[in-house]
Amino acid sequence: MVRAALSPSRRFTPGPQRFAAFVPAITVVLASLLAALPIVTTNGWYPNFGFLVLISWRLLRADPWPAWWAAPLGLINDLFTGYPLGFSIALWCATMLVLDLIDRRTMWRDYWTEWVLAAVLIAIDQWLQWQLAEAVGAAPPLVRMVPPLVISICAFPLTAWIVSRVDAWRLGR
Amino acid sequence: MATARPGWSRRAQYGLFFSFIAVIAGIVIGVILLVMSLVAPKAFDSVRGAALDVTGPVSTALNEVRATANGLMSGAGDYWDAARQNGELKREREAMLRRMIQAKAIMLENEQLKATLGLRERERKQIAVGRIVGSSLNSPRRFAILSVGARDGVEVGMPVRAADGLVGRVVDTGALASRVLLVSDRASIVPAKLLRDGIPVIAQGRGDGTIDVRPLEVGRNPFRRGDIIITSGTGGLYPPSVPIGRVVKLDDDGAIVIPLADPATASFAIVEPAFEPTAIAAEKAVQAADAP
Repeated sequence: MVRAALSPSRRFTPGPQRFAAFVPAITVVLASLLAALPIVTTNGWYPNFGFLVLISWRLLRADPWPAWWAAPLGLINDLFTGYPLGFSIALWCATMLVLDLIDRRTMWRDYWTEWVLAAVLIAIDQWLQWQLAEAVGAAPPLVRMVPPLVISICAFPLTAWIVSRVDAWRLGR
Repeated sequence: MATARPGWSRRAQYGLFFSFIAVIAGIVIGVILLVMSLVAPKAFDSVRGAALDVTGPVSTALNEVRATANGLMSGAGDYWDAARQNGELKREREAMLRRMIQAKAIMLENEQLKATLGLRERERKQIAVGRIVGSSLNSPRRFAILSVGARDGVEVGMPVRAADGLVGRVVDTGALASRVLLVSDRASIVPAKLLRDGIPVIAQGRGDGTIDVRPLEVGRNPFRRGDIIITSGTGGLYPPSVPIGRVVKLDDDGAIVIPLADPATASFAIVEPAFEPTAIAAEKAVQAADAP
């Protein structure tokens, strides 16, 4: 139909958003800011939102941001979540480096591989947090870290899905 | 630094290399900052305070919304059985009135006894009243965000209590908000005693919202289920006779206590000055000297 060509169509892609290059980093900052939600928990079982979104982006694409941006993003996460300053900076930079090295080794990836990778990274994050608490003599038994770990691993597919939607939006697909 | 080999472009190869260097520099800087914040926890006070000032008011505003929504829900719920509640409240009020008269008599007697003993009670002031608007969501540590800060006179080390009991103590202050170490954190140790017979005990958080109590004297387990634990005031940081929690479970040489002041439902938190001002000065000296 000729008339169909006149009506605005979703098949014509609008192209990338104006700030497409900054969208991934902004979503990470927003996820870190979730720590400001007025939720008062006495067990700390919520996922580390900033880290989840960070690895979701990095596993989805190899270049969501220049790798060194992980340092300022980590600083923001440290400040808002109340982790000891420097923890997220070091961990997030190391994550970027490790994932780059893994990218060189792996021949193929599928969804399950990514989930396993994410699970390993989340476990390392939780274990390091436990080590930090241990360093100041405030570590609970290691068994207590299992529920937040399981919750975070289960939350990864959700953040990965949200991130893939945001990615499609920012690139105008 | 996505692909291993960006092609023959020198510029792209250098870009990749410098990106690697930058990330490694990021790791090194992060580790250095981390070691500094562990060794000298006061080093980044101002930066952390500024971050608190950014998120604190946001949390406070969102908390208002949540509280209003909650209030509407429970308010509507209360109408359903208003008549039964009314009767119950009347009965409770009668009982309360009798207890109050008894308490007044006891207070009078207490004052007289204190006067004869020559004890002087330090006047109890409150520095500020705020709301608990947030908490550490993903951490083995137990912190809460309080909606008052240095502008209201809050200082690091001050005890925080709710109407029901002890909440914790201030560890970080911004101008508008502050961070509180909850009594359920592993690093929180409160000198306490049993309300029933005054046996001195130590209350240490367990990191999961409960508190571990142990008697100072090793031997028979003095706890019973339902016992109330109150602060003893020893050490001077926490005021005496503030309720901490109720014993819910006994173990071999101590007991597990549920805090009476639930930070999730306490509507107000009161910041008080340290009971003995010298205690804060001493603690500051210790913190300046080494790690917490």
